[in-house]
Amino acid sequence: MGVFRRVNGLGLLTMIVLLGLWEVLVRSGALDFQNLPAPSAVAARAQDLVASGELLVNLLHTVRVTLLGWLIASVVGVGLGLVLGLWRPAWRWSMASLEMLRAVPPISLVPLALFVFGFSVRTELTLIIYASSWPVLINTIEGVRTVEQELHDVARMLRLSQVKTLRKIVLPAALPSVVVGLQLSLSLALVLAVVAELVGNPSGLGNGLILAQLALRPEQVFVYVFTIGLLGIVLNAAFRQVAARAFGPAIRGQGGAP
Amino acid sequence: MTVAPPGPSAAEGDRFTKTGGEGGPGHRGARDGLFPPLRGLLPLIVVLLGWQLAAARLPPYFPPPTEWAQGLVELARDGLLLPAATATVVTFCVGLTAATVLGTLFGLAVGASSTVDRGLRPTLESARAMPPAAVVPIATLLFGFTATMKVVVVTSAAIWSILLNTRSGVRQLHPVLLDMSRSLRLNRRDQVRKVILPALWPSIFLGVRVAAPVALVITLLVEILTQVDGVGALIAISQRNYKFAQGFGLILVAGLFSLLVNALVSTLQAYVVMRHRPPR
Repeated sequence: MGVFRRVNGLGLLTMIVLLGLWEVLVRSGALDFQNLPAPSAVAARAQDLVASGELLVNLLHTVRVTLLGWLIASVVGVGLGLVLGLWRPAWRWSMASLEMLRAVPPISLVPLALFVFGFSVRTELTLIIYASSWPVLINTIEGVRTVEQELHDVARMLRLSQVKTLRKIVLPAALPSVVVGLQLSLSLALVLAVVAELVGNPSGLGNGLILAQLALRPEQVFVYVFTIGLLGIVLNAAFRQVAARAFGPAIRGQGGAP
Repeated sequence: MTVAPPGPSAAEGDRFTKTGGEGGPGHRGARDGLFPPLRGLLPLIVVLLGWQLAAARLPPYFPPPTEWAQGLVELARDGLLLPAATATVVTFCVGLTAATVLGTLFGLAVGASSTVDRGLRPTLESARAMPPAAVVPIATLLFGFTATMKVVVVTSAAIWSILLNTRSGVRQLHPVLLDMSRSLRLNRRDQVRKVILPALWPSIFLGVRVAAPVALVITLLVEILTQVDGVGALIAISQRNYKFAQGFGLILVAGLFSLLVNALVSTLQAYVVMRHRPPR
């Protein structure tokens, strides 16, 4: 992410100018939206929310649930993906079913999950795990299946055992694709967490957001929205850091850091 | 899916199509063909059959598959299904079109000028990091519970892959193309219309291909969250009214839409890429 690597003075300037423009337009009444607060009002409200601890409590809840759901989804996705990617019969006899299931947008299951699990953190976790398993699963399957034939030939030539082929050839070759899947899943986990909190779970950033909306406090809505956006950026940057540190050169140039 | 994770890479398109389920070049499973064999549907059929047979013992919110169709028929008879489906399709189409036009324009701007790119990047990056679900409350604050609000949300989520693909497309334009239009003394408008856009179609369509499923999911999302109109709103309403069979029928409709969109963009993209092979 360019923002973190070097200071982009021009970009920051643009952002500040845009914020200033927003402030001026709202104050002068040139922008004719009923519920658009000025940035200064949003900042003031943010200070209150931070001071009262409300924002932090909600933030921690969302972070915790997102990460937990994502971890479980990753284990499920990679595990199942390895089975389906490596074992041909399993792929042949189930991939079409998975493709059909995948076509059903997880979002459309939100109301059902809400009914089955009620207004609880279980609804949230279930939705996160179900939805964010898909990218890891699909990318693991594809990553394993698209290992180049030449690499398999090399393994055969070296007379590697099956376990060794898997560990030394297949997994490293599939890694970049899996990492991309993990990254997509993380973003998706946050989205589903926010959605679940918006519609049902009585805590978290999404819940704070919907309460602010119901209370007709536009500044508060903006505070929560900006926090969620910031969280998205931070989670993604953290993932890149960790992935680069853990897998290093193995994933460079392939969907890792640009 | 969707809901684009940050990271302005030229490989954006590839990254997303990787989840598309079709093998890229060098696909080891070539013997199995690009699409998984149909016998793979067996587990799904078994599960649905089991569901049907065990229906009496399942809780009421898991109605047997045969009742899903009945639920849809009920909805159609009450005159609810068609307007909802139309509203969803309209929001999807308008949102995706707006995203394509705006994404191409912005992509052209940031692709052609590195100054514009540097100037807009932090703003665009932060806008892109915003989960669409969080955009919904802001859009309702500004535009109310209206069709405009729905389109704004869909556009804001679908624009990114188109923008980024256009940007990298512009960057990779062959310099000979630009030289040629200069030696032909084309004016700015003709240069864009006759030279640049045709060369960019494949990039733009790659973006649209990624954006289309996103647009559909976000359409459903905004409908479920705001319940203005559309299939998503009906799903939420039917569950709330304990009409579970209708709910499952509608989830099925959403799945059909999604299959349809995928098939459509794949066909379209194959056509476009074939017609407009970029010069090497």
